[in-house]
Amino acid sequence: MSTIDLLKRVNGIIEKYEKYDASTPKERPANASQDYFMKLYRTIEDDLNDVLKKVEEVEHERNRAVIATLNAEVRRSKAALRLELLKLHKLAQKKVKGVIAEEILTRPSMALALAARIEEVPDGVNAIRKKNPANGQPLEIRIDNYSPDDIMRSGAGREHSVESKGFSDEYELRKIKQDEGLEAIQQGLTTLKDMAHDIGEELSRQEQLVDEADTKTDQASANMNTTNSRLKESVTAMRSSRNFCIDITLLVIILGIAAYLYKALKK
Amino acid sequence: MAESSKRPHSAPSLDPRLTHAHQLVRKADKLTTLSFFNWWPDWTQATPLYEQAATAYKLAKMLEEAKTCYEKAATGQERLSSPWTAGKHMESAGALAKELGRIDETVVLYRRASELFLECGKAQPSADVLGRGARAVEDESPEVAIRMYLDACAMLEEDGREQMAFDTYRAVVNLYIKLNRFKDAAALLVRWGQAADKCHATQSQCKAYLSAIIVHLYDEDLKQAQQCYNDCSQMDVFYKSDQGETAEKLLSAYGEESSDEIKHVVDSSYIIPHLDHMIVRLAKQLPKGELKTIFPVEPSDDKLNEDDLT
Repeated sequence: MSTIDLLKRVNGIIEKYEKYDASTPKERPANASQDYFMKLYRTIEDDLNDVLKKVEEVEHERNRAVIATLNAEVRRSKAALRLELLKLHKLAQKKVKGVIAEEILTRPSMALALAARIEEVPDGVNAIRKKNPANGQPLEIRIDNYSPDDIMRSGAGREHSVESKGFSDEYELRKIKQDEGLEAIQQGLTTLKDMAHDIGEELSRQEQLVDEADTKTDQASANMNTTNSRLKESVTAMRSSRNFCIDITLLVIILGIAAYLYKALKK
Repeated sequence: MAESSKRPHSAPSLDPRLTHAHQLVRKADKLTTLSFFNWWPDWTQATPLYEQAATAYKLAKMLEEAKTCYEKAATGQERLSSPWTAGKHMESAGALAKELGRIDETVVLYRRASELFLECGKAQPSADVLGRGARAVEDESPEVAIRMYLDACAMLEEDGREQMAFDTYRAVVNLYIKLNRFKDAAALLVRWGQAADKCHATQSQCKAYLSAIIVHLYDEDLKQAQQCYNDCSQMDVFYKSDQGETAEKLLSAYGEESSDEIKHVVDSSYIIPHLDHMIVRLAKQLPKGELKTIFPVEPSDDKLNEDDLT
């Protein structure tokens, strides 16, 4: 019997005897179908316990990426629970058959208590990371030691002639054009950087696949070599026995011819 | 032949192939159905017949028969202990079920194909087939598709191949955004960032975190966006990256409550256009809604201090 058949039989047997399984507790509270408030309350409480478990995991976790993910999940669950709470508040006001009046009066406060518990759940790192001012300075690239402003200042005390005004205007214009050019270069470089990063990631992704393909091809070629050598052995064995038979047959024929000739010559 | 007289509308060139296909199916059925004379089903002979018949039906565009043949061929391959081929046939059957428009059956067939691949011990093709199945049904039943995508991601993560899961994550995020479930989209983006962190794919990680913050801002939830940024900036990789800087600029623009500033940050950024196109579309629409609703009026503390006599 193969593994698959075994699995199928086991599943079949489990399905057949499921009703005898004592480990699943069955709750049958009275008037369960009517009491929507308690059902919703219990569901929300279960969800809240799941969220609290996640918060516990956060406390034990060291990897920051995992912490961020868990916190994001906690925030999302809290948002979903808040929506459910709105429904709970509405249901708390309704009268339900089989439940005494005093209990119905306590229900709104139960809902509020649950709301408070949900809000208490910590959901994320509240410390804002201050940017290190030393790192905040962009790298300054200097091409030469004179700055254009120094050169302009050195001419202070002299009046502008028409020509020099034209020169300074041209200088301003060219400066603006250079800035535009540099911006275009910056944009191009950012795109290139982004593409290069993406290419790098794609390559590291493909590396894993190529390594696997490599191992598989190595295995396949080893198998081929073994098969080939075995085939060679069996073919040589066959051929030698065939050669042997052919040799004997030919010998017999030659002897027969020789005997015939001998008889013919003897006459 | 009897069959050709019953089908006057089929093209004459297809007829002999179709009749051959019918014959194959009948022969294979005879081999596999148990009867008084047939105590053991002979799948070794029947399976290739089913496969041939299925290809013939598919060429003839008779999808219903092709699908049934593929399913039977898959069962046969399973019995012959070759779950790989069985999985492949189940996937073909699933694709045909999708063309026939039967979504529930499609889901079942694709899930069965994925299970068969798992029996082989191959997680990658199993997750791939779940992804393909999810794509097939995402238009008609997005919830089921999301479930399938998330199962595929979990499978790949268990196997340690998080990098292959990136495409699946992207598909789920796009689906969530289409369904306007922004909170789920943002949570999943942070999860994507975690997967990227595990395999040291820093570019994808930073992009995922920035996308999560943009989604929160599009959802008009500044508080969540701020908390998300606080969480993510605990990681050096994101904090020092271009994406982290863009996020900080965006949040400070929101802090200044100036929609011009926000638009300027988005338009002049060289980082945002390189994100996924759905996210870029959301970013271009920032700031969404009235800025006043995003910033709830905080109760001023001054009054409390005056009345506080302690």
